[in-house]
Amino acid sequence: MQTILYADLIASFMSVSAEPIACQECGQLHRYSPLALGKTANCRRCGALLYRNRPDMLDSVLALTLAGLTLFVLTNVFPLLGLRAQGAEQELHLLGASLAFWDQGYPLLAGLIILNIIIFPLFELLTLLVVVLTIRYHWRSSTAIFLFRWMREFKPWGMLEVFMLGVLVAVVKLGDLATLIVGAAFWSFAGLVLTMAAATTLLDPFSVWRALGKNNG
Amino acid sequence: MAENEALLQCRVCGCLSHAPTQLKRFEVMHCPRCGARLKLAQQSTSVEETWALLIAAAILYIPANFLPIMSVYMLGAGQPDTIITGVYHLLEAGQWPLALIVFVASIVVPLLKLFTLSFLLISIQRRSRWRQHDRMRLYRITEYVGRWSMVDVFVIAILTGLVQFGNLARVDANLGSLSFAAVVVLTMFAARTLDEHLIWDVAQQEEELT
Ligand SMILES: [Zn+2]
Ligand SMILES: [Zn+2]
Repeated sequence: MQTILYADLIASFMSVSAEPIACQECGQLHRYSPLALGKTANCRRCGALLYRNRPDMLDSVLALTLAGLTLFVLTNVFPLLGLRAQGAEQELHLLGASLAFWDQGYPLLAGLIILNIIIFPLFELLTLLVVVLTIRYHWRSSTAIFLFRWMREFKPWGMLEVFMLGVLVAVVKLGDLATLIVGAAFWSFAGLVLTMAAATTLLDPFSVWRALGKNNG
Repeated sequence: MAENEALLQCRVCGCLSHAPTQLKRFEVMHCPRCGARLKLAQQSTSVEETWALLIAAAILYIPANFLPIMSVYMLGAGQPDTIITGVYHLLEAGQWPLALIVFVASIVVPLLKLFTLSFLLISIQRRSRWRQHDRMRLYRITEYVGRWSMVDVFVIAILTGLVQFGNLARVDANLGSLSFAAVVVLTMFAARTLDEHLIWDVAQQEEELT
């Protein structure tokens, strides 16, 4: 096992040792050279991360993505928060929180929030799934390239963790006013935020782009 | 590969490709790997676009802070709150951690973003080589922190969605929340359009062009 891996490394070293790459942060040119498992390469001008060689990156990301999709469904099905006041009860689902502004006469804001907490996170999860499967099973990568490109562009607009902070602020704010019920979706939502953060940390975009680029055409 | 050969880097996937020696008018280049649009340094409109977005955000910052963002009615009584009066009410109620979160996310961060992006743009336009490392770090922080300003908009969404008990208790959203969200969105776009590589290679590009 170890020797095969080593031979593999040497083979890839011979074939692509002169491949020029540029730092995504500052544009400084470097030459790509394969790394040992677990090592990282950094830019010599600005110190930014260039690429990593993580053991089992694809499998971990795949597991996290599947967990994330499950949690995403749970989060959207169950109520997030409930409020009881003098016999009356109000429940809030994730979609309800997005549509609250719609009822208030601000459809633009409602649209923005739906994108932030439902559409973009779902798009990210599905893209990760397609990308990981494409690399693993050597599928033609044009779809995965398209999806991954837009996922990277939309990344800052998916705001699950910011919404989580908003939920916490709202919970504390309402705490003294009324009886607050923390719904099942609250916990799956917290899990979803952690899962997606872990997937983002594990995924090395450089390695993904390289792998997708090879399968292309 | 010669170091000084004209290579273009795709900003989306990082792929390098050879820059054509001449580009026809209105000719558009695309990244060979991911298909994103590529621009030559002299085609860049990053600085102008970022200024336009920043100025629009600065203008909307005024109604965002002076118009009420949310109204809380308890037993029929209540009044609209702006961002600042909202923070003040939280302080009055002794919820200072919340007051701090809202104050930082809704007032400090947008203002800081407007100032740091303007500062970076001016330093790029003056072709400054001053502390490129720190300016790059400043850009990264600004870009990262900006989205957290949305927290107040989300809180309003949750409260209006949850607290609807007619005359007993009701939370309504007001116009200020729309202009506030617009400020956040515009500054996020501004941070995206600002081409951070300009911090490094303005001087270098000048040398290459002459
Ligand atoms: Zn660099
Ligand atoms: Zn590209």
